[in-house]
Amino acid sequence: MSTTAQTISQSTPRAPFNLPWYLRDLPKYLLTFAVMTVIYVGFRMYQGAYAISTGLDSSDPAFDIHWMRLLYLEGAFLLIVFPMLWGYLWFTRDRNLDKITPKEEITRYFTLTMWISIYTFAVYWAGSYFAEQDNSWHQVSVRDTPFTANHIIEFYFNFPFYILMGGSAWLYARTRLPLYANGISLPLTLAVVGPFMIFVSVGFNEWGHTFWFREEFFAAPIHWGFVTGVWFALGVGGILLQQVMRLVQLLDQIEDAA
Amino acid sequence: MTGKSLDIPARPYTGEKARLSRAYDYLILVLALFLFIGSFHLHVALTVGDWDFWQDWKDRQWWPLITPLMMITFPAAVQAVLWPNFRLPLGATLCISCLLIGTWITRFFAYHMWNFFPINEVLPATMLPSALVLDAILMLSNSLTVTSIFGGMVFALLFYPTNWPIFGMFHVPVEYGGAQLTVADLFGFQYIRAGTPEYLRIIERGTLRTYGQYATPLSAFCSALLCTLMYPLWWYLGKAFATTKYVKNI
Repeated sequence: MSTTAQTISQSTPRAPFNLPWYLRDLPKYLLTFAVMTVIYVGFRMYQGAYAISTGLDSSDPAFDIHWMRLLYLEGAFLLIVFPMLWGYLWFTRDRNLDKITPKEEITRYFTLTMWISIYTFAVYWAGSYFAEQDNSWHQVSVRDTPFTANHIIEFYFNFPFYILMGGSAWLYARTRLPLYANGISLPLTLAVVGPFMIFVSVGFNEWGHTFWFREEFFAAPIHWGFVTGVWFALGVGGILLQQVMRLVQLLDQIEDAA
Repeated sequence: MTGKSLDIPARPYTGEKARLSRAYDYLILVLALFLFIGSFHLHVALTVGDWDFWQDWKDRQWWPLITPLMMITFPAAVQAVLWPNFRLPLGATLCISCLLIGTWITRFFAYHMWNFFPINEVLPATMLPSALVLDAILMLSNSLTVTSIFGGMVFALLFYPTNWPIFGMFHVPVEYGGAQLTVADLFGFQYIRAGTPEYLRIIERGTLRTYGQYATPLSAFCSALLCTLMYPLWWYLGKAFATTKYVKNI
């Protein structure tokens, strides 16, 4: 690899806002961050406004209005967004992957990293903020339904939403990057499927809290399904190694051709 | 661990290649920040959680034992990727810093602002000094064995003394209703929870009480022993997850 001939940007597709060519999708990435922040902070503000006044008793008619309706809205939103996004990624797939240029492939690696970054942002809200907030809420409220004021957001929006983002990252890689199209990346699959199992663990959690003990004791075994699921996020280390190795190859190709 | 990558002469990128490389680094930084806040925080909350959430759970039996044992996990796994491949001696510090950021945000906005627990009742413990030393030992020794034995031990043994300046004041004895309590106990009785430790009956108990002041060092050394075993286990787990394999079917 030479340290002298390092100009690699001639005849490259232009990115918006005078951004470098490899950051073509940066505006979409930042916009997605902003929209997701509005959604999650909005949920938290809604909880602050209505959880104590209407979210403590599931037999209260106000609970139906403020919380069960929210659950149905979330379900409807996810039912629309899941097939739309995954369908878009699949039907707009690149059918000529053997013909893409090294620069285009580098740009797509940057975009894949942005997808994974968005996925981890969703994991943050699901695994960190709203997860521990669940403990806080269930210390002060009587758990008389699986659909509590925090579960409705944590289990039935946050969890499916990060699955949506993780699945999208996986699909993007599979449909737009040659290496990921020729073989299924094991670390990327682990990093997406493992946290998916956290969602499945909700069943064990609810069963445990219904028939075993109702108190919120976070270190209890009924929560360990969530724990093993999140270990698979360590697969991101493998994705990083795969990407770095490929990016170095691509940069060398561009330089050799220059 | 291998030192082969160091045999390749370093030829730094310049110009656009360097800028591209830096842009990628920044993307990875943002990705890693949210990844480790989200994943490591969930791991800790659901294993150590209750001992870290509440002042009155911070006992001498389980708190110094479980906290380092569960918190050395992700640091070891991340070090296994960042040190051999990139020579970045910051895996442990990165994980623990991310954990603290996530924990503090939640303690303030979820516990204090939403459910009105006093912030002093829900102060998180810190493993940051332990993480810095763990990273330093790996960097200086470049040895999995040395880091497992000495790093693992120090990681656990530093926990109690480095947290005592934060939590010592809550263990001052007070008399309340004719009984002797600590300030931490008082917090707990004033703010009754589903997870009140006396209610769950899993706080400090058993023969350790009869050991008096030796209870904490005993727990700490037990934790130190377990951390020396946990560290290599999670090192190899981290390496296994960081596979670069492609497969034909899943």
